[in-house]
Amino acid sequence: MVGISRRTLLSATLATPMIARTARAQGAVLRIGAPLPLTGGLAPEGLKQKHGYEIWADTVNKQGGIKVGNGMAKVELIYADYESNTARAVQATERMISQDKVSAVLGAYGSGAVKASSSVTERYKVPMLAPNASAKEVYDQGYKFLFGTEASNDALTVPLAKFMQAHLPSLKTMVILSRNDLFPLALGRNMEAAAKQAGIDVASFQSYAVGAMDHASALTEMAAAKPQWVFVTGYTNDLILVRRQMAELKFSAPIITMLTGPSYKEFSDALGPLAEGITAVSWWEASVPYHGIPPFPTAREYNDAYIARYGTAPDYGEASSTACCIALQAAAEKAGSLDPLALRDALASLDVMSFYGRLKFGPSGQIVVQALPLFQLQGGKRVILAPEDIRQGELKILS
Amino acid sequence: MTARLFRGLAWAATLGATAALFFLGDAYALRIGMTLAMFIALASGWNIIGGMAGYPSFATAGFFGLGAYAGALTQLRGVPMPLAWIVAAGVAAIVALAVGWIVLRLRGHYFAIASLAVMMVLRELATNWTMLTGGGMGLNLPVLQLGIIAQARLFFAAQAGLAIIAVIISALVASSGLGFALRCIRQNETAAGMLGLDARRAKSIAFAISAALAGAAGAIYASAISYIDPTDVFDLLNTVQPIIMAMLGGVGTVAGPVIGAALFVVLEQSIWTNFLSVHAALLGALVVALALFLPQGMLGQLHRRKVKP
Repeated sequence: MVGISRRTLLSATLATPMIARTARAQGAVLRIGAPLPLTGGLAPEGLKQKHGYEIWADTVNKQGGIKVGNGMAKVELIYADYESNTARAVQATERMISQDKVSAVLGAYGSGAVKASSSVTERYKVPMLAPNASAKEVYDQGYKFLFGTEASNDALTVPLAKFMQAHLPSLKTMVILSRNDLFPLALGRNMEAAAKQAGIDVASFQSYAVGAMDHASALTEMAAAKPQWVFVTGYTNDLILVRRQMAELKFSAPIITMLTGPSYKEFSDALGPLAEGITAVSWWEASVPYHGIPPFPTAREYNDAYIARYGTAPDYGEASSTACCIALQAAAEKAGSLDPLALRDALASLDVMSFYGRLKFGPSGQIVVQALPLFQLQGGKRVILAPEDIRQGELKILS
Repeated sequence: MTARLFRGLAWAATLGATAALFFLGDAYALRIGMTLAMFIALASGWNIIGGMAGYPSFATAGFFGLGAYAGALTQLRGVPMPLAWIVAAGVAAIVALAVGWIVLRLRGHYFAIASLAVMMVLRELATNWTMLTGGGMGLNLPVLQLGIIAQARLFFAAQAGLAIIAVIISALVASSGLGFALRCIRQNETAAGMLGLDARRAKSIAFAISAALAGAAGAIYASAISYIDPTDVFDLLNTVQPIIMAMLGGVGTVAGPVIGAALFVVLEQSIWTNFLSVHAALLGALVVALALFLPQGMLGQLHRRKVKP
């Protein structure tokens, strides 16, 4: 049921920003919706996404926009805060398409929210580009309008298992601790499968609840297996806690791998010497060798532009966000149109190089696999161990 | 007489607005309408145990999530959608009866904490019973092959229908012996018991009705959103917001939760749409202001005006 004054109030509030937007939209404008978790548990990640989008939009607009057909189109980002709440992300996505008439939507943060909101873009036939959703399960519904720039978890775990086996011949047993949440759990499962495939025994597979503050019992059980490799998934705060409790329990192993915290500066800042020697895989590093289309042809140039603007170095979160924008830009240039359907077709057949790597989406919509950088924290810095062409150092075995 | 007429007119206008939204609203307006209807059902349901009986339940989100999972799992086993919603309501009611048998022995703050624990246990179950629920990976529901507007109308109609049922049940409860028993319990449970009132039975029924409404709302939500995971459906906000809504409108009354939900959703939506960065603070300040200046809720304020000319 609906209150009497609800409709009037609602249309009034919705109409105000709409008028302002239409007035601004002189000439062609590529309008892109960006639901962001600006408040709530994912707020830090939301800010990374926003920066990744913003730096692209401002740089492109300063150069006159993007080339669409015979003219130039400015780009306009329309933000909403979805409060780290999935239902809100879905609502924001629908609002952007039905009220703001966006041509494309940039995905929410994390696999779960992307999966839920992609049902809206699919229904409205508007492309969605997800910068931070790597679980294969997000792309398993046969959707035609969903694209993701993070390679699937297999691309990460299979080479990782091979690398560790090659560099630690005594590697026989590993343990896995996963956060029980779509992406980290899927990643843990992928690691388990990759380990088994490589002939590594997974002695213990444990998962912890979202928001868990104590890992002692899981860690004690894992320590009993005397593993050579400890593999932990979760987000920055989870991983900091796990590493600290491992130290308290005097539980260590020759290799400790944590995903996805070590890519972030916050992780090494919070852990100090405890961060030393932790290995991780990233979807992007500033040292990757790719050369691609403007406005940021190389990773180095992107890195420098980002530091000049925000004062800190970007990690894969921002880079993947910018990569989504660049894919959209390339699709608009290729299609010569801002029509969502034309953009979708151009995205599906896109194949261009960028600072982030090759932008080509597979049949499920997820980006095709490329070699991902594997690194170790050494002396507070990320030192790349693989792939060979960008290697900066050797794997150091922990005691 | 004029008060009754006014009340009748207000209900008629509300139903008229619902029908108008159904036929004229675009997909986005229907989505907001669906959210509002869902909260009316949740707030009215909470009001039966929390308002009429005075038992501050924090289990709403627990039964909402339970209903979402029950509905999703039955639907995935081939049960037609509307039937799955009914099953979800039934599952929630049965679990509420079983759990209520224990937690309804507690009163006041103790009951509040125990009901919160019920929600957390249910969330842990959904998270860790991976074989059944998919754990943190969540569940995909069948996607309907319907047009945008048709689908928006369908789920709006479902939630609105549930909201109407919730209000009718509230009215029936309020005017029945059960409502009288609940009000006695709120005023003095020990005295009510001494006078021969079966307080346990009345509380249990109220708790089960409240849970059934939350369960059905959760199941419809799950069908509408087509993907659920434990953190989304066992969200503490779904417990807290209906309580705020009932308090804004007027606790213990039939119309209170409806007015409160409408007021809250309109405020929340308009603030959320227009303020990108400060919306949470603004909404919080507004809720605090409303609680300070309208401690009895909107209805309480109206009644006070009438009494003191």
